[in-house]
Amino acid sequence: MKEAGVKTWLPSLLRLALAVLLVAFVTNPGWFEPLLKPLTENNAPVIYNQGSLLTLTLLHLRTVLIATVAATIVAVALAILVTRPAGVEFLPLSRSLVNIGQTFPPVAVLALAVPAVGFGEKPTLIALFLYGLLPIFENALTGLTTLPANVVEAARGAGMTGWQRLTKVELPLSAPIILGGIRLSVVISLATATIGSTVAAKTLGEVIIAGLLSNNLAFVLQGGLIVAALAVLIYDGLSAIERYTARRMGREAQ
Amino acid sequence: MIEIEGITKRYDATTVVDDVSMLIEPRTIAVIVGTSGSGKTTLLRMINRLVEPTAGVIKLDGADNRSLPGYELRRSIGYAIQGHGLFPHRTVAQNIATVPVLLGWDKARIKARVDELMTLYQLDPEAFGPRYPHELSGGQQQRVGVARALAAEPHVLLMDEPFGALDPIIRNKAQEDLLAIQKRFGTTIILVTHDMEEAVHMGDKIAVMDAGKLVQYARPAEILAKPASAFVETLVGASEKPFRLLSLGRVRDAVEKGTAEGEAIPGDASQRDALAELLWSGRPALPVKGDDGKPLGRVTVDGLVKRAARPA
Repeated sequence: MKEAGVKTWLPSLLRLALAVLLVAFVTNPGWFEPLLKPLTENNAPVIYNQGSLLTLTLLHLRTVLIATVAATIVAVALAILVTRPAGVEFLPLSRSLVNIGQTFPPVAVLALAVPAVGFGEKPTLIALFLYGLLPIFENALTGLTTLPANVVEAARGAGMTGWQRLTKVELPLSAPIILGGIRLSVVISLATATIGSTVAAKTLGEVIIAGLLSNNLAFVLQGGLIVAALAVLIYDGLSAIERYTARRMGREAQ
Repeated sequence: MIEIEGITKRYDATTVVDDVSMLIEPRTIAVIVGTSGSGKTTLLRMINRLVEPTAGVIKLDGADNRSLPGYELRRSIGYAIQGHGLFPHRTVAQNIATVPVLLGWDKARIKARVDELMTLYQLDPEAFGPRYPHELSGGQQQRVGVARALAAEPHVLLMDEPFGALDPIIRNKAQEDLLAIQKRFGTTIILVTHDMEEAVHMGDKIAVMDAGKLVQYARPAEILAKPASAFVETLVGASEKPFRLLSLGRVRDAVEKGTAEGEAIPGDASQRDALAELLWSGRPALPVKGDDGKPLGRVTVDGLVKRAARPA
C-alpha cells in the first residue's frame, strides 16, 4: 500500500516542482545566474538581455494556442465532413492535403510564406497550423470511425437527425481520441515555434538564436529548457484532461 | 395494426428480403425467426426505415410509413437491439429520456415517465438514475435498453435479438418482464430472434424466414403441428416438438378431476414444467392449485402425454 502511495504522489510532486521552477525562472531569471555562469565566456551576459523572458514565453504560448485552435477547427471539421455519407469521396483528397501539410518542412513554409505575408508572427502561424493538422485530423478520423456500432445504431433508431447524432453522440464519444491528437499537435508546435524567430516572430526561439549567434551556451540552454518544461507540463495537463473525458465517456475499458 | 405488403430489399444483385407480406394485429407479439442471413433483421429495420425497401409498402395503422421523415417515424416507434446500445456518456435517466427529449416533452413529464419505467423495471430511480451504463450489470443494462425504447409510449416496439447477450436465467426473467409490460401497455411488439424456444414462448404468431422469403406465418401451435416445409421442421427441432407444444399450454387447462399427493403446482405454470416435475419425481399425478391457493384438481402423466401428441 505504502509503495503505491509513493507511486501516485511522486509524479505530481515532480510536476509541481517543475512548474514552480519554470515560473521562478521566467519571472526572476536573475536568481539562476550563478547556475548558468560557467557556461559563458569572456564575461558575456548570462541571462538573455534583449527582452523579458516572461513576455517571450507568453508570446510563444499565444502563437502555439492560436495555431492549434485554428488547426483543431479545420482538422475536426474536415474529419466530420469525410465521415458523412456525402463526404466520403473527399477522404483520400483530404488525407493527401493534410499529409502534405505534415511532410512540408516548417522552415520551407516560413521561407515561402514571408514574401506573401511579411515577417513576424503570421508566417509562423501558417507553418504551425499546417504542421499541426495531421495528428488532429487522423485522430478525429479514428474517433469518428471506431464508435461502437450498436450505440450509433441506437441513436439512429431513437430518431436522432444526422446533426443530433453528431453533436450528442459521435463527437462526445470521440472527444478523448480527438484530445489525444490535439495534445500531440501542441507539443510538436511548442518545439517548432522556436524556428519562427528566424523570421522575426517573438518566440523563445529568439533566445536560442541569440545564443547561437553570439556563441553563448547559457542563452541556448535557457531558451531550450523553458520550451522543454512547457512541453512536459502541457503534455501532462492535456493527458489528465484526456483521461478524465475518457472516463466520462465510458471508454476507459477499451 | 402493421401491414407489410410485398416488401423486397435488394443490394445490387442479392435479394435480402424477397416479396414478404404479413399482417400484425394490434396488441400482439409477432416473432420473426430464421437463421443468420435469412433477412429477418433487414425486414425489421424496414419497418422503422433504418433500411429503405426496394419495393413494397409498409403501413402502420393504415398510414404509409413513408408519409413522415425517417427520424420522426423512428421517434414514434420503440427500438431495442442486442447489446442494448446504451449511450455510455449519459446516465441511466438520460438514456431512458432520449426520445422524450427529442420530442420536446417538458421536464416534469419526462421525469415522471422515467421514474415510472425505472420503477416498473425494478430499478430504484434515486439509486440508478444518476449512474452510468457501465456501472450496471448486463441484465440491468438490458432493462434500461428496453425502458429507453418504451419511453415515449410507442404503440409499436421493434426488438432485434434483445435477449441475445443475456445468460439463460436473466433471459427468462427479461422475457417474463416483457410479456408483463406488453400486457400492461398493450404495445404491438415485433421481435427478431434465432431461438425457436423464445419464439414459441413469446409469440402470438411466428414468422419463419429463410433466404429472404417468408416460409410460414402462423400461431405457434400450428407451426409446431404443421410445419410448412422441411426447413421449418428443422428449425422447430423434431425431437423438441412435443415439449414445445406442451410449453404453450397452462396447467389449468389440463386439469382433471381428482386429488394427488405432494406439493401442488400453480395453475399458471406451463404444462411442460408440470410434466418435467412428474417425470422427475416419478409420480403419476400432481395436485394443482389456483391463484388463491385452492386446489383445482390434478394433472396426470397420461393426460399430459396425450396433449403432447401431434394435433389432428
